[in-house]
Amino acid sequence: MKKYILRSLICLCATVVVFGTGLVPAASSASSLVVAVDTPPRMMNPQGDDSDAGLSYMANFFDGLLQRKGPEGKLAPALAVRWEHPDKLSWKFYLRKGVKFSNGNPFTAADVKFTFERLSNPEVSEFLNTGKTIASIKIIGDYTVVIKTKVPIPWFANNMHQIFIMDKESTESRKPGDVMTRPIGTGAYKLVEWVKGSYIRMTANENYWEGAPSIKNIEVRPIKEPSTRFAALVSGQADIVTGVPVALYAKIKSNPKLQVISRPARRCIFLALGNKTGAPWADLRVRKAMYMAINEKEIIQKIMRGHASPSSQVPDPPTIGYNPDIHRLAYDPAMAKKLLKEAGYAKGFDITLTGPNDRYVQDAQIAEAVARYLAKVGIRVKLDVKPKAIFFPEVTGGKLDFYLIGWFDGTFDMGRTYFKIAHTRDHAHGYGGLNGAAYSNAELDRALEATADIINPEKRRQALMKLNKMAMVDQIVWIPLHYQEDLYAMQKGKGIHFTPRPDRWMVYKEISR
Amino acid sequence: MATYIAKRLIQGLVVLLGVSMICFIIFRYMGDPVLTMAGKYATFQEREEVRRALGLDKPTYVQYARFIWNAAHGNFGKSYISRVPALGLILERFPATFELATTATLLAFLMGVGLGVLVALKPRAWQNRLIMAGSLGGISMPTFLIGILLIMIFAVYAGVLPPFGRGQTVTIGFWRTGLLTVDGWKHLIMPAVTLATFQLAVLLRLTRAGMREVLTEDYIKTAWAKGLPPLKVIFKHALRNVLIPVVTVAGLQFGEVIAYSIVTETIFQWPGMGNLILTSIFESDQPVVVTYIMLAAFMIISINTIVDILYAILNPKIRYA
Repeated sequence: MKKYILRSLICLCATVVVFGTGLVPAASSASSLVVAVDTPPRMMNPQGDDSDAGLSYMANFFDGLLQRKGPEGKLAPALAVRWEHPDKLSWKFYLRKGVKFSNGNPFTAADVKFTFERLSNPEVSEFLNTGKTIASIKIIGDYTVVIKTKVPIPWFANNMHQIFIMDKESTESRKPGDVMTRPIGTGAYKLVEWVKGSYIRMTANENYWEGAPSIKNIEVRPIKEPSTRFAALVSGQADIVTGVPVALYAKIKSNPKLQVISRPARRCIFLALGNKTGAPWADLRVRKAMYMAINEKEIIQKIMRGHASPSSQVPDPPTIGYNPDIHRLAYDPAMAKKLLKEAGYAKGFDITLTGPNDRYVQDAQIAEAVARYLAKVGIRVKLDVKPKAIFFPEVTGGKLDFYLIGWFDGTFDMGRTYFKIAHTRDHAHGYGGLNGAAYSNAELDRALEATADIINPEKRRQALMKLNKMAMVDQIVWIPLHYQEDLYAMQKGKGIHFTPRPDRWMVYKEISR
Repeated sequence: MATYIAKRLIQGLVVLLGVSMICFIIFRYMGDPVLTMAGKYATFQEREEVRRALGLDKPTYVQYARFIWNAAHGNFGKSYISRVPALGLILERFPATFELATTATLLAFLMGVGLGVLVALKPRAWQNRLIMAGSLGGISMPTFLIGILLIMIFAVYAGVLPPFGRGQTVTIGFWRTGLLTVDGWKHLIMPAVTLATFQLAVLLRLTRAGMREVLTEDYIKTAWAKGLPPLKVIFKHALRNVLIPVVTVAGLQFGEVIAYSIVTETIFQWPGMGNLILTSIFESDQPVVVTYIMLAAFMIISINTIVDILYAILNPKIRYA
């Protein structure tokens, strides 16, 4: 009896093995694509994660009222065919007709209202800030929505590519856990299966309003370990990988089967410096000296291995407020020493440089280099690098003196950024929430507040450019370092057409083969 | 016996309480989940609102008491990061870790004992000296290095084994298994070897030491003198007596392998609990980490208790009073 059971068990196993091998997918074919990315999705709730890594997944299952297209991230219609801005507080969106959610429900203005109301619920949303600024949402007919904000928000429409519209009926009727794991949207792809820690499989939405996407089946494999991601590409198990570490760049470049794609990233890495009264670094001459003591060219060459470009300001060129007339102060340690002497700090001073060690490309190494450059002009830097989970709470705490951080604004509007990181910390208005060194400059604050209700795009650009110049040239609010570069790699000669986006999102309807 | 088991259970509960308390205290210094959950552009007030919604504005002891109360009712809280129940999130990953740990332990046990016996028989032969030197390497080489070396050799250069993941899986009820497909086995080889190396080396050295001692005993000499076949002498008479401590160590290590496969799982992107836990630590996802640590403590305590009880059954001379 025992033997019989054993024998049948072996038979069963053998059958399953034979059956199972039949299921093994062949290497990706013409209508499919395997992509290894560096960050796994947290959930399938499009409002629950405001990071670009999370939005990158959601952009495939859902649509916003607007979308960002092309290498410059130009704002384009999506679920709204056009929009108007009748007065300082109102935004009017005309919605696309005939669009359906993946469960068959038609897309109407009620879904837009539902989505925007959901934004202010902390249980499900990380877009509280957007949600809380909305005063009212009015529906006119089935396909027109007027959103009124509490205060003028010039960049409101610029943010509409990040707010993905959910289906009111199915989101309300399903259990919260189901909403968190199964997306129902209007997007170019539908989720087939999400096995946590393994893969996300999606299939094309043949009825997509923009036309069915070229690649029918996508498999996304999140692999956090960079060397393993590299191995996945080299062994042919992935067609495209994101987040190629600079250390492996040369290796991939020399491999004839692979191709590397690099594009300037929007993120600027810079040093924030407080200005509390009495501190040596409140003196403009000292700020200038610290700026001039840092050899950015060498940082880019040696630490970033050439994969970065020097920056003279925080916003990147496509951002409203970027000013081409701002130039970096030249690297000049002799001049820096002179300036320090003039300011009365010939013998230098002590300062602590804080920074993350798991957030940006080579972040800890950059901080070390900065410390060494400053030491050469006599400034004694105590280095304090730590994991981002500990570093960022310190930034919001506002008690740091000098720290390394990176920034870019998803709305392409510098105004929002400056309110967050340059304005004096102000609990009543909610300004300066990430001004971690408590930098405070009344003149800058006034100039910034004055831009808040400039709606005319050209006037706004001019005002922000002026403000930017004042911050970077006259006041040296920050010491800018460089813009990062995003590195991707893919299989060569497989006919894959892929142009990376400025926001690092992987939007598969834009890829073809 | 009954009193002994009851005593062990009470001890276990005390340990679990202690472990969870330490977790809570440590988490005060491990980052602030509110920052992520309120969003990048949240104002001070919006952050405070999220803090209140999560109950994180209360003092630690209130939070802790509430956690224990809920845990006693089987509710370990929702993950801050995925916003679904933490326990479910962890248990979903359990099959992957269990299969990896079981394979690794079996591999370590069979190879370790086999090689240990081999080495003990002819300790001075050069091949055996080589094995012993290798085992020293197995103990001292860090897991991540072994993993990365294996990937480099077998996936990147030779291209014979897949570098990451579980491969094709089959779902039977709630259990997603990779053991029923050829692809699944291919994916399992490298992580299992990586995870097994340390244990293998330990078990090898343990077996060898025991065998060398036993082989010099009188009853073995008698067995040889009686003219018994060598296989019978070695395996039936000698190894059997050596095996008791070896099995104990292997059993105890099994719990540790399940709980601490974090490094191996991360390198091979193995979708198990260790992988989840590392991510959760980086994201300050307190509910998931605390639940996991309690689960791991629970597993290790249960395995220890079972081993203790088995001891009494295997060797009637041992009594627990």
